[in-house]
Order: sequence, then structure tokens, then C-alpha cells
Amino acid sequence: MAEEANFKCLRCGQEFKLPYDPKAGPQERTCPKCRSNSVRRIKEQKK
Amino acid sequence: MMDVGRHPRIKLFVYSEVEDVSGYVGNFKVKVRKKARYVDENECNACAECAKICPVVVPDEFQMGFSSRKAIYIQLPQAVPSAYVLDMNACLGNNPIACGKCVEVCDKKCIDYDMQDQFIDLEVGAIIVASGMDVYDPTELDEFGYTRFDNVITSMEFERLICAGGPTTGHFIRLSDRETPKTIGFVQCVGSRSERRGNRYCSNICCMNTIKDTVLLKDHYPDIEVKVFYMDLRAFGKGFEDLLRRSRSEGVKYIRGIPGEIYEDSKTKNLILDVENTTTGEVEKHELDMLVLSVGVIPRQDGDLIQKLLTLSRTVDGFFMESHPKLKPVDAPTRGVFFAGCSESPKDVKDSVTQASASASRAGILLSSDRIKVEAITSVIDKDKCTSCGICYQACPFKAIVVDRKAKIPAEVIEAACAGCGTCGAECPFGAVTMKHFTDEQIFPQIDAILEENPQDKIVVFACNWCSYQGGDNAGMSRLQYPATGRIIRTMCSGRVDEQFILYAFSKGAPIVLVSGCHFADCHYIDANRWTQKRVEKLWDKLERKGIRPERLQLEWISAAEGQKFAKVMREIEEMRQKVTPEEIEHTKKVLSDWKPKGAKRRPKKAEVKIEA
Amino acid sequence: MKEDKLRIGVFVCECGLNIAGSLDCEEVKKYAETLEDVVVSVVNKYTCADPGQNEIKKYIKEHNLNRVVVASCTPLMHEPTFRTCVAEAGLNPYLFEMANIREHCSWVHLHDRKAATEKAKDIVKVAVAKARHLKPQIEAEVPVTNKVLVIGGGVAGIQAALDLADTGYQVYLVEKQPSIGGIMAQLDKTYPTMDCSI
Ligand code: SF4
Ligand code: SF4
Ligand code: SF4
Ligand SMILES: [Zn+2]
Repeated sequence: MAEEANFKCLRCGQEFKLPYDPKAGPQERTCPKCRSNSVRRIKEQKK
Repeated sequence: MMDVGRHPRIKLFVYSEVEDVSGYVGNFKVKVRKKARYVDENECNACAECAKICPVVVPDEFQMGFSSRKAIYIQLPQAVPSAYVLDMNACLGNNPIACGKCVEVCDKKCIDYDMQDQFIDLEVGAIIVASGMDVYDPTELDEFGYTRFDNVITSMEFERLICAGGPTTGHFIRLSDRETPKTIGFVQCVGSRSERRGNRYCSNICCMNTIKDTVLLKDHYPDIEVKVFYMDLRAFGKGFEDLLRRSRSEGVKYIRGIPGEIYEDSKTKNLILDVENTTTGEVEKHELDMLVLSVGVIPRQDGDLIQKLLTLSRTVDGFFMESHPKLKPVDAPTRGVFFAGCSESPKDVKDSVTQASASASRAGILLSSDRIKVEAITSVIDKDKCTSCGICYQACPFKAIVVDRKAKIPAEVIEAACAGCGTCGAECPFGAVTMKHFTDEQIFPQIDAILEENPQDKIVVFACNWCSYQGGDNAGMSRLQYPATGRIIRTMCSGRVDEQFILYAFSKGAPIVLVSGCHFADCHYIDANRWTQKRVEKLWDKLERKGIRPERLQLEWISAAEGQKFAKVMREIEEMRQKVTPEEIEHTKKVLSDWKPKGAKRRPKKAEVKIEA
Repeated sequence: MKEDKLRIGVFVCECGLNIAGSLDCEEVKKYAETLEDVVVSVVNKYTCADPGQNEIKKYIKEHNLNRVVVASCTPLMHEPTFRTCVAEAGLNPYLFEMANIREHCSWVHLHDRKAATEKAKDIVKVAVAKARHLKPQIEAEVPVTNKVLVIGGGVAGIQAALDLADTGYQVYLVEKQPSIGGIMAQLDKTYPTMDCSI
């Protein structure tokens, strides 16, 4: 079962969920709204 | 076809697939998997005794499933090589209890159930990709009723039904009652030229194919009524218009308009079409005995492996991308690889043959030389700076570096294997790698040159030679207009774009930096751009920690065919640039003012090492 | 051998009106002359044509140039042309650099002559900056195995294989199906001449 993580588009600011497997290595990601590849994973806030 | 089987200099591997390709132009190493055929193709004389006795009946793919074949079969009577093949998935097994009948009847004893897949290693100087095409499956276009109505068939199925070597020995019938239809229609552009479903491109062959089919029908059955429903008829080639004229003069009706909906008369199984005739503007009803969907050509659905192995790229349509659409139409971007036939775009037999000959002659030019030169863009490692950390070895997609971490032997590059992507150069933490012709000493001054005057008005763009730079070229060729603020620095691969280049650009006042490269599937250096992505992701974090907005570092994968995307990205980023404030830029410059190139950090330590020694 | 002082020549191409139509080549040329180590700059109508190439060679000789920058089209098209050209004038081909002011400038900024000219100047500046640090390179030679692999035994693969085999090369033809022939073998007749496909 694919896990999901939160991502944010650094072009249009859209936040969304995408499948994410920490073991899978880098993936090509596309913003569902503006099609940009500047997609950054938002990491859980560590205290 | 027969000539191929007989030619002394052609070695044929049928039922085989390319598994792996390594090496480079002039020196490719290829691994071919020859699937077990379970029949010795040299011994088999196609006597057909085995198939006669075989009890298993399955649909025959070659005849589009209209007839059946046995588990042991020959693809077509004229097959080359002329030998049977055993379909293990259908076979009952060579257990005397299960079956094993064919082995008994084969006089030549060429059936061997224990045959295994074989691997063959080849060394070649050039590769021709003639991997062909697939045919569009009209199932998704439900309004045409392909899956619902017996008497709706595709143009591929038509070929088999009209063919003397087909399942009906050329006796053309419809499926519901096995009668020869008296009226037949063709629907054009099925799966082609549509914005919504299927494909956007014109499949090139279907108009002429239909015209040919109508002539064939009229030859066989002069009284048959034939109607063709079309959007546009494209009969542009030599002799094409003549054939269209012949078809028209034989009474074939051409009606401009694609049926919106098709119904079946449940009793007669005839088809009723509602068509808006766009010439007259009237909605017409047509009743036909049979309907042929003129389906389009689509890229091979199994093309991914070849694409990956040969580092090819594809156009938005999915066909392989040529080196230059006009000047190098049969060369692949990868040196030593050439295209022939529909793998590059839909084409008919004549065009395929023409392109194949062109391709053969291009390959011949290469093969006729004993030696060729390779571009001097490989990496060189400075033994004094190298700490034998092994990072470059891990990063190198071609494993072109030898380094012994335990014995602390500095890294060394195997020049012939290095493709010059520059990933090792970007990843080496100690600045020990020099990329010939794309050195740090060349790239820093390029950044300086961009940012010396009015840096706030410029976008620093790193573009890779194969995709994003050519995407920019493509935008140019298509005259797509975009703001004039981008300044490009070309590297062979985005993998070359060192973190220090980006930080340096920001320290010099760049409002925005764009790193661009090939889509993951298109990377010309296997997976070098995965390192780019990792690096950019790390840098986003780093910038954020330093209080710099990560948005100012942008990442984009743009293929050589995506001029549209290139222009769009440049427009969007220009909008972002305008929002970067002068205060922000000043702040960044201050934060990064202590920035030093990575080799510099290391130098004092090296001095220490020397003293110890 | 110690390198002599840098002497860079910049050749600005008009490409007919392809470049000159939307930016000011004269101005780019004048600007190039102000850049460090540039000793001469010239505007050509078609730099890749023989007269253009001859001019490059002439200037290399007359002005003793040791770096050459051509501001014209994409390097994907003419970098090999100009590398050969400078090599014929006795320069190492890697001492040549290209500035793309056509695909990346004149063609994409057709309606803003001023901005296009400014951008072209920058593009030339970047190329000159790189040119100042170019080093001669020796190209490694590799042997060529004179055999060829053809992937796919349809009509195109068959034709390519036959042509190459007839030329005298060893051909390996790999086909996924149990027989060659591909889609063509499934066709009954082929247009426009209505002959049989097999
Ligand atoms: S070739 Fe003709 S029928 Fe086929 S897609 Fe193109 S226009 Fe349509
Ligand atoms: S990454 Fe740099 S330091 Fe590490 S082994 Fe490679 S060249 Fe040497
Ligand atoms: S440049 Fe690329 S291919 Fe060459 S050694 Fe470095 S990582 Fe490997
Ligand atoms: Zn977005």
C-alpha cells in the first residue's frame, strides 16, 4: 500500500498529497494545479 | 522477407528481445534474450504434423482472433524462419498422461520441452530502432459500439477478412450472419485528431488505407455500396489522388461528417448511423450492414525499455524523438542510434522503407570508419584533492570511476566509459573533479557575466544539453514568445549543476535560479538527473534554514519537444521574479557573503596531510 | 608552453533577417568589442556559409585570434561546423564557443527589439566569459565495431537490415514475434499501387 505525504508546489503554492515512499529515491513530481516540477515535500514539524 | 532469412550477413533472432544495452557509439554491448521456442527452428520443416495432432485450440492473434490456432503453431504460412513455435502457456505439457502428442508425431524430432531462454551477447557499432507501432484500440469510444455490435470492426480486422490468406480465405463476410455485406461504411480518424479522447495527431496512413480498402471491396464485389465518413481526406502523396479518384469513380460515396451515435437493429444486426453532414449541414441517417472503424496508429506500448536502454526521448505524442526534425530526421539524439519506420512517427510502407534506407545509410557512414572521435567532455580527477570518499563512484550512472575507499586509492575515471554528465563533479564534496569543457572555472565566470549588471532583472537558468536547452530551441523554432529575462548556462546534464553554482548565483544577487533538465524517463545519462533532484531538494532545505525563500530556486523537467512548456515556465518564473524584493536580494547576499567554492575549504587540510607525510 | 595573451574574436551572425530582423546586430558587435580580451568583432550575414567561415579563418590569421565566439544559432546545429572551421585555421576546436542569439533570443522576442538586443549582449558576454577560460582538448579516439543491430523485423527493420547487409556489414536482426514481417504482413494489399504486402 502506497503511503502518502504532503507536498507543496513552489511555483503556485498549491498543497497536495502524493504517494511517497522514503525508500524509493527521487521521483519526478508534478503539481496537479500548475504542472510545475518544483514540488517540495513538506516534512512533519519536528519539535 | 525471404531475402532476410537467406542473406549470409544477416543473423536473425526471432522470438527475441533486447534485454540490455551498454557502451557507447561504435562500441555497444547488447544482450539479447532468445525466448524458448521449444521447436528447433533450423530443423523444423513446417510439415504441420504437430499442429494437426495438437488438441489445444486458442484464438489466432495474427488473424485478429477471427480464427484459431493450436498451441503449437506457425504465425503465418510465409513465416521467416519457416518454423513452428510452441506456446507454453497453452500447451498441456509433455507428460504422456497430459499430452506430449506433438513430440511423437514430429519426424525430425525438433520439439524439445526443456528448451530454455538463451542469452546472446552481441557487440555492435550502431543500432537501428525499427520497433514499429501499435494500433489504436477503439473500445473507449463507446459511441461507435465496437465492443457492443458484432458488425463493427476495425481496419486491422478488415485486412484479415479481405485477405486471401485470412480466416475466410478472402471471402468477405460480416460477423453476425456470415453474409457478405451489401452496404458498408468506414469511419475515419478513429482515435486520431481528437482533443478529447484517443490522440491529437493525424495517424497519416488511415485515409489512404481506407481508400485502398474501398477499391479492394469494389474489385471483389462491384455491387457493394460503400460510404466513407470523414473529417478531411488527406491524399497528399504520389499516386494517392489517383487512387481516391478511382475509388470515387467506382461509386464510393464520401460523406463529410463523423457519426455521432451508432445503433444496432436488434433483428437484422444492421447498424444505424446518425451523421451530421457538414457539407450540407443536415443530419442524415444511414443504415449499413457493416461498419469499419479506421483506427489510428499509436506508439509501441512496450517502448519504455528500449527508450531507457538507449536513452531516447519521446515527443508528446509518444513517438521517439529524432535529433533534429528537418536536418537529422533519422538520427536519434544518442550517437550511433538511428530510427526506421513507425517508431519515430506513423508512416506508411513506402515512407517506412524510405526512412529505413536513409537510416541504413546513416549507420553505414558510421560503420565505414575504423575509428571515431569522442567529444572531450569527460571528467578528470585531481589525485591530490581526492579523499577517496567514493561519493563520485556512487553518483556515476555509468560506473565509469574506480576508487578504493579502504585502501585510500584516489578515484580515477575510465575515459572510454565516462559519458561526461558531470554528476561526479557536482557531487564530489572536495572539488576534486574537473569536467573538461564544462569546468568550474568556466561556469563561475558565466554566472558573473550574467549578474554583473542589473542582477535583479535576470533569471539564471541552467539547462541541459539534451532536453531543456533543446526545449528552448524548440520554443524558438516555433516562435513562441516569452519574457527576455532568462539567461541560460548550458551543461551536458542537469547532474552537472553543482550546489555551489546555485549558491554563488544567489550570493551575487540573482533573484531566481532555475535548474532544468530532462524528464526522468528521458535522462541521457541513465539516472543522473535523480541526483539533480536530490540536490535541489537539499538546497531548498538549506536555503530555508538560511532564511532564503526556497521558492527562489526553481526546478523543471522539460523535454526537447516541449517548447510550449519552456515558454510557459519562463513566463511563470518571470512573474515570480518581479515579486522578489530588493531587500530580499540584499539579505540573501549578506547571508551568503561568507560563501567559498568547495575546493577552497579543503586546501588547508591537504597541507596538514602533507606535513604528516 | 605558456599560453599567449588572450585574443578573442566575436562573430555576430545576422542569419539573413532571422536574427537581424528582431535585434540590433551592430550594437551587439560594438558591445562585444568592449568586453575584456576581445580584440575584434564582426557582423556576418550568414556566418555558417562559406564566406562567413572564410571570414572567421581570415580574422584568426590576421588578428592572431586564439579564442573564437560565434553569436548565432543553437550549438546543436552548427557547433560541429564552426569547430571544424576554426580547426582548419589551426585552432584547437575546443577554443571555440557559441552564443545562441537566435533560438534563445531573436526568435522568442520578436516584438521587443530593445530587450532582445540587451539579452543578446548578455548572451555574448556569457559566451566570452566562458571563452576566456576555454582550454584546448584532445579528443580520444575509439574503435568502431562494424556490425549493426536492428531492433524490429517489420518492413522498416527488414529494409534497413537488407541495405546494411548488402553494403557488407554484419547485421543482427532482433524480432519479438516468432516470425519477421510485423504489421505489414497482416495487411492484405498496400496503397497506392494495390500490390501484395508479402
Ligand atoms: S490519416 Fe486521415 S483518417 Fe487518419 S487520422 Fe489522418 S486525417 Fe484522419
Ligand atoms: S567524490 Fe571526490 S573526493 Fe570522493 S572519491 Fe570522488 S573524486 Fe575523490
Ligand atoms: S562525468 Fe558522469 S559519466 Fe563521467 S565519470 Fe563523472 S559521473 Fe561518470
Ligand atoms: Zn503548482
